[in-house]
Amino acid sequence: MLSATKKWLSLKLSSVIMVPFMIWFLIKIVTIYDDDYQNIKEFFSDPFSAIIFSIFIVVTFFHSAISLSEIFEDYINSEKSRKFANMMVYLSSFIIPAITIITLYKL
Amino acid sequence: MNNNPLSPHVQIYNWHISSLVSISHRITGVINILALSLICFWVWMLLLGSESYQIIFNFFNSFVGKFFIIGFIWSYSFQILSEIRHWFWDLGYGFELKTSKITGALVIIGSIIITVVLYSLRGLLL
Repeated sequence: MLSATKKWLSLKLSSVIMVPFMIWFLIKIVTIYDDDYQNIKEFFSDPFSAIIFSIFIVVTFFHSAISLSEIFEDYINSEKSRKFANMMVYLSSFIIPAITIITLYKL
Repeated sequence: MNNNPLSPHVQIYNWHISSLVSISHRITGVINILALSLICFWVWMLLLGSESYQIIFNFFNSFVGKFFIIGFIWSYSFQILSEIRHWFWDLGYGFELKTSKITGALVIIGSIIITVVLYSLRGLLL
C-alpha cells in the first residue's frame, strides 16, 4: 500500500472513531465545565469517564497529528522546517495524552 | 520569485460557501486540538488540589471563560458536521454543485443551532 493511501485511510478511520467520542465529550464538558473542584475531580476520576476520555484523547491526538502534517505539506515550503514541525507535532501528540492518562490514573 | 499569477488572491477573492467551509474546517481543526491540549492541562491542574483550582474555577465562571466554552462548542460542532459531510464525499455522494452548496450551508447553520441549543439546555443535561 502506498504511504499516502495509508495516511488517508488512517485519517478516515480515526475520524470515524473520533466523532462519537467528540459528541460525548462535548455534551459532558458543557454540563460540568464551571463546576467546583470536587465535582470536576469526581468526573475525571470516575473509571467509566476516565477510560472514555483516554480513548478520546488518544484517537484525537493521532488524528490531529496526521491532519496537521497535511496542513504543513500545503503551507511550509522548506523541507527542513516541515520536518521539524512534524516532529514537534508527533512528539506532543504522544506526550500530552500520555501525561493526561497518567494524571487520570493518579486522581 | 517568478511572475506567475498567485492563486487564490486573498484580497480580491470571491468567497463561496464551499471554500468558506473548507478553510473553516482546517481552522476549527487547529483550534480544536489547541483547545483539547488546554483541556488536558486543565486535567493536570486537578492534581494540584482544590486551592490552586480556584483560579480555573474563576476563569470558567467569568465572561472570558463563557466565551471560551461557547467558542469550543461551536468549533467542535462545526468540525463534527463538516467531517460527516466529508464522509459522504468519500463514499461518493454530494459532489453536485447545488448539493454541496446546500450541505455547506447546513454545516454553517447547523453548527450555530447546535451551539445555541446545547448551551441553553445545559441545565437539563445534568
